[in-house]
Amino acid sequence: MTTPSIAPRPASAAPLSMRAALAPVLADAVAADPGLITVGADGRALFGQVIERDPRRYVDVGIAEANMVGVAAGLARAGLRPVAAAMAPFLVRRAYEQIRLDVCVPGLPVVLLGVGGGLGYGPLGPTHHATDDITLMSAMPGMEVYCPADAADAVRVVRTVLAGTPGPAYVRLSARPDPVLSPVASEGDPRRPRLLRDGDDVLILAAGRCVAEALDAADGLAADGVAAAVASVTALRPFPAAAVRELVGRRPLVVTVAESLPPGGLGPCTAEALGSRGPALISLHTDHRYPPVAAHQDLLRFYGVDGRSIRSAVLSHLNRKTREA
Amino acid sequence: MSNADELARRARLRVVELAARKAIHLGPALSLIDVLAALYTRVLRHDPARPDWPGRDLLVLSKGHGAYGLYAVLAELGVLTAELDDLPGHPSDGIPGVEAATGALGHGLSLASGLALGARLAGSDRRVYVVTGDGELDEGSNWEAAQFAAHHQLGNLVAVVDRNRLQQEGDTEDVCALEPLADKWRAFGWRVGESDGHDVAAVAEAVTALAAGPGPAVLIAHTTKGKGVPFAEGDPAWHMGELDAAQHHTAVAALTAKA
Repeated sequence: MTTPSIAPRPASAAPLSMRAALAPVLADAVAADPGLITVGADGRALFGQVIERDPRRYVDVGIAEANMVGVAAGLARAGLRPVAAAMAPFLVRRAYEQIRLDVCVPGLPVVLLGVGGGLGYGPLGPTHHATDDITLMSAMPGMEVYCPADAADAVRVVRTVLAGTPGPAYVRLSARPDPVLSPVASEGDPRRPRLLRDGDDVLILAAGRCVAEALDAADGLAADGVAAAVASVTALRPFPAAAVRELVGRRPLVVTVAESLPPGGLGPCTAEALGSRGPALISLHTDHRYPPVAAHQDLLRFYGVDGRSIRSAVLSHLNRKTREA
Repeated sequence: MSNADELARRARLRVVELAARKAIHLGPALSLIDVLAALYTRVLRHDPARPDWPGRDLLVLSKGHGAYGLYAVLAELGVLTAELDDLPGHPSDGIPGVEAATGALGHGLSLASGLALGARLAGSDRRVYVVTGDGELDEGSNWEAAQFAAHHQLGNLVAVVDRNRLQQEGDTEDVCALEPLADKWRAFGWRVGESDGHDVAAVAEAVTALAAGPGPAVLIAHTTKGKGVPFAEGDPAWHMGELDAAQHHTAVAALTAKA
């Protein structure tokens, strides 16, 4: 007796994932530029449409991220422009040395897409979490590092990188569909922060999935009588320091929030940009605590980078200031 | 003595002169010089006057710590004019004749596979050669690359293993056994040849024959670490070292006597 196979069905109302949004974009880019080549490690969601159109434009290395990056470096040295993707935790950790020595030191134009950076794989656990990807990739010489906030932003980033980045770039992609943000979050140059909501009391700077959390927090703070501005920062390296300073303006408080470890990330980069005489700065980020078995949203809460945590942090600060006054 | 043998002898003298001035990876450089001499004089399509010639074959030195052997051979060919003293201890980009920066072990086979695949995708008949160490094959990334190259049937890729049987701390078979090495390559889908790695004619003949077949191929070149300097031959202590005056004298005498 055979059991009929039943294909898993995606949730019907779910917004587009970054991978689904990028698939046609990458296929168009490959079709338009004979120098592009795509490389994957037994994960074809991003490249399915590339393969459909011309399977020769996709190279699968199997589950072998170190070799994937070495091969991509060789392809780049042969004059091609590789776009290589793998699950973020394995890409940035297993292939760290190849990324550094074979791609970044010689400054080769390899685009690395890390799928599921941050906590996006939720209950799959710490083997599949990559809150260190931004830190590790920021430590690479000459690497551009992006953390897009939703699917449209991811598309904007990849198009921008393919059009204008002469060297290596890393883009953190979400594992699952993100909340869809206002079109402003994906307009213009992704290398500059985008102001999504204005307010004079506090500026919340957020990266990636935490942008949606920051907007939630701003809604809550409005009910508390606090006018919070929210800006998304997609480019972490090079960090848009001058634009961030400009954006902060005269606001007395800045909060950064990202599902990443601090080094090289949004918090420290903002602190450096603002200097010691800048406004009060609160940095919300993940840490090294072992995570519970939990969905993405609950992990954001666990590490204190969800909307409620942001709102609490702002209110605590303002209450303390009030008491001190 | 053939031109290639004479080139190898003079390259060894360059390495020995350098080792009298500073500590270098002496043994590894000396063990691979004949392989490089064979490849550059009898196998590779290249033009020493135009190291960037787009139609050239490529050679990646995966065992980057053999750098001074490579530099010495390139200097003898006239590709390199810089003093060896001024060159880095592992191949770096920007040095004429160096196709890829290496030094961290286990990277070259992946790089060479990408170069070979890139050549094939471009419709080029260029060949890619990669020289690895034997101890280097402890690194797992080599076997990821070996599997990849076989899967993609990269017939324009030939690896040469500098099988001197010594790694930093001793015999490869005592540290973490590599044998049966030829069987391992075969099991990964590579065609395998073996030769005396100090017989330039044999190396050139074997590589040429291997390059003519389908899919990737590897030559296991049996060599002696420290070859040409009697007291360093087969002694893992000379993995890295500096020659004192007496050692320098002995080394030069040995290499000169063979002229």
